[in-house]
Amino acid sequence: MTRFLARRLLLALLVVFLVTVVTFVILHLLPGGPARGVLGVKATAEQIDAFNKSQGFDQSIPVQYWDYLIRLLHGDLGASYTLNTDVSTLLAERLPKTLVLTATSTILGIIVALPLGVWQATRRGRAFDVVSTGLAFVLYATPVFFLSLLLIILFAQVWPIFPAQAAQGDTLADLLSQPGSLVLPVIAGGAATAVAYSRYMRSSTVDNLAEDYVRTARAKGTPERTILWRHVWPNSLTSVVSLIGYSIPVVFGGSLVVESMFNYPGVGLLFWTAARNADFPVLLGVVLVIAVTTVLGSLLADVLQLLIDPRVRVPGAKS
Amino acid sequence: MRRRLGRVAAIICCLVLTACAGGQVRHGVGGPNSVSFALPPSATPNWILPLAIPGYTASYNGVIQSALFLPLYAYDGSSGAVARDDKASAAEPPVYAPDGKSVTITLKPLAWSDGTPLTSQDVQFWFDLVRAAKDDWGAYSKGLMPDDVTDFRVVDDHTFTLTLDKTYNPGWFTANQLALITPLPRHAWAHDPDPRKTFDYLVAQAKNLGGYNSNPLWKVVDGPFALESFSPTGQVTLARNPRYTGEDAARLDKITFLTFTSSAAEYNVLLAGGVDYGYVPTTNLGQKSKLESLGYRIEPWNGWSITYIPYNFNNPALGAVFKQLYVRQAIQHAVDQKAISQVIWRGTATPGYGPVPQDNDPTFLSDTQKNTPYPFDLDAARKLLADHGWQIGADGIQACQEPEKCGQGVDKGARLSMTLLTESGSDETDGTMQELKSELSRVGIELRINAQPLNTVLANGTTCEPSSPACSWQLSYFGTQGSWYFPAYPSGEQLFATDASVNFGNYRDKPTDDLIGASTLSTSPQSMMDYSARLAEQLPVIWMPNPPYQVSAIDTSIGGITQDPLAGLQPQRWYRR
Repeated sequence: MTRFLARRLLLALLVVFLVTVVTFVILHLLPGGPARGVLGVKATAEQIDAFNKSQGFDQSIPVQYWDYLIRLLHGDLGASYTLNTDVSTLLAERLPKTLVLTATSTILGIIVALPLGVWQATRRGRAFDVVSTGLAFVLYATPVFFLSLLLIILFAQVWPIFPAQAAQGDTLADLLSQPGSLVLPVIAGGAATAVAYSRYMRSSTVDNLAEDYVRTARAKGTPERTILWRHVWPNSLTSVVSLIGYSIPVVFGGSLVVESMFNYPGVGLLFWTAARNADFPVLLGVVLVIAVTTVLGSLLADVLQLLIDPRVRVPGAKS
Repeated sequence: MRRRLGRVAAIICCLVLTACAGGQVRHGVGGPNSVSFALPPSATPNWILPLAIPGYTASYNGVIQSALFLPLYAYDGSSGAVARDDKASAAEPPVYAPDGKSVTITLKPLAWSDGTPLTSQDVQFWFDLVRAAKDDWGAYSKGLMPDDVTDFRVVDDHTFTLTLDKTYNPGWFTANQLALITPLPRHAWAHDPDPRKTFDYLVAQAKNLGGYNSNPLWKVVDGPFALESFSPTGQVTLARNPRYTGEDAARLDKITFLTFTSSAAEYNVLLAGGVDYGYVPTTNLGQKSKLESLGYRIEPWNGWSITYIPYNFNNPALGAVFKQLYVRQAIQHAVDQKAISQVIWRGTATPGYGPVPQDNDPTFLSDTQKNTPYPFDLDAARKLLADHGWQIGADGIQACQEPEKCGQGVDKGARLSMTLLTESGSDETDGTMQELKSELSRVGIELRINAQPLNTVLANGTTCEPSSPACSWQLSYFGTQGSWYFPAYPSGEQLFATDASVNFGNYRDKPTDDLIGASTLSTSPQSMMDYSARLAEQLPVIWMPNPPYQVSAIDTSIGGITQDPLAGLQPQRWYRR
């Protein structure tokens, strides 16, 4: 297990390194460079030259990447061109906010999705399954921005129960000081998760209910509830758990829309704004964070699968 | 049992929802004598020092700086005429010597918030810093401030004389040069005898956004407001300066600048009553009556600006074609500015036909520009091209058939097919470009649209040499929020003078250079009128409708708001009814 983890960690490091190389090269190959966008229309040619020199854009891309890598190894992610703040400070401010949003919406979505999927599977083809499947498809097909808008109109404007925007402030504590302001963003972010995982869970459970071991258990007279929760549930869960780790980039992507609609200053929005402004240090910083969390997420999923499913063996381990 | 559990769950949900729902404040986020103001989408104030380095010169930074630090001369155009705003200025009107080569300025009897009087040394301190680090000053342009001031002489504590390198038009010099100066608290900010070191020190302090709330440097102000809080995420609160000594004291206790991630987010909060003074995205203008019923008044805020599409006269493929005035005239005839303004911009944009802002102060506007020599007329456009040897080919595109008529450098077979690099992300701009493409196609001119983020458009559509690969762009548009905002005096030395820094299309015209020179040097207002007429006729760019700075939604209980085309706010004059 230790060797497996060590190997996976090394592989994760390699993946993160390759992600930084690809992102850095693509960004720095963009025509024009960021100077004019950062300095504005009124900037003179001298000011643009000075900016390019100060940022090292007059050097070759390998030299620029090497400088970036050295700074990165010293924990220096650089400074935003447009926000007058270090990237590490920006990430420290915004990452917890995004994590709260994405983690809460994902966990709540999964809490709703897993039992719902099992319930649908055990009532396959009946009224509840048909209706809930139909609703799930409608919700799945609803774009996040539209759902957000609908929630704002209904619950912030028509019936002003919740604020139309997240609590504003520099810290996570500011955000959490008004939990009501998180309700609509969490629902908007979690709805798609709930629907998607309920569909996975339903199919997984339906497959498992058709397995021989279920038939055998029934033949032995095992109660239906025991079959479902002690045998089918863990087996169905394994395929869903592995999906969670791989869904991290998707969750980050979805948070961008939610953050934009609810004026929620998180990492997704930071990335979007940086992309529009060609703010390279911020883009690289956010990509790095997403790469790290994605590889860690997939590693976590693999480990969880090992723990949940005794049939899965550590690759290379003696049987 | 299950039913009972369901009921209990429902009651718990209701209680949680009720508990979570915070008290929703209608209109605004502050106290009764405060106002919340929505900053543009994704705008985050990031610079407090009233000496901005390149990259930190955004207008929202300037608004906050001028509320804290009085400029030597403030300008305002909200009355319909762009004029000096003496109440918001730190000095009495300037007195120019009869030969125009010097100007004497007397400061008002003001004091800094720590009680120290504001003196001529505070202005000299600004000059010392800018001279020592002019290349790092965001507003520096070679030959202009501070290069055009050869000597600074202190007459007394409140009076000083500037010697100029030549005789300038006083109107231009005060509006576009003296207005750049802001007296700075020398006693509190002079960190080192070497002004360069002091400049670097102040810039380093200004780069520490997290320290704005506690840094004593930013506590010493002379404006009507003082800094109460400055969040690194951009939200800024200013409180009335109790030690303000001028004649333009704040009437509000506080003003809060709110940041928004998108215009949609701002609009949602506006509808929920979370903003006192916000903006309405053009696409939502259909809901004007709804906003009015919520207690907002809706007013377009026109900018002191012009909007245009530069031609790249150095483009190897089409530069020679663009140099033909009749081609530019034909293209301008195909721009239906009234339709674009009324339909795409829902009546909020204003047609513009020349180099001077057309929807505000008409002081500098010539009749030629106002009445446009090239109104929308597709027949006129076709005739111009036909008269100069162009014919529509089998592909529906005009091609030069008689090169001797087409003009110098235009070869036989040259086609009027051009690519427009335009900014993406705006429904209005997309609609405008489609309209332009459609009308031009009816004349036989093909317009290919290449939409890119604004940054890419600005980076690529810039000054270039014909031999350079960077000169492949042909037309570029970066005017969704107006292409160019002028200082108080709308002269064109940065835009259309030969080799000017923002003359992206490399336009060259000796009479234009002479008129621009005259407008900055001569006292005669006729030079600006002539400049306006000349460029309305010569079409160095495609003139386009000028969109508003924003369409504002203002809480009807707030008085004293005048929307300044120069993008100033003067929040000290706002009050709650």
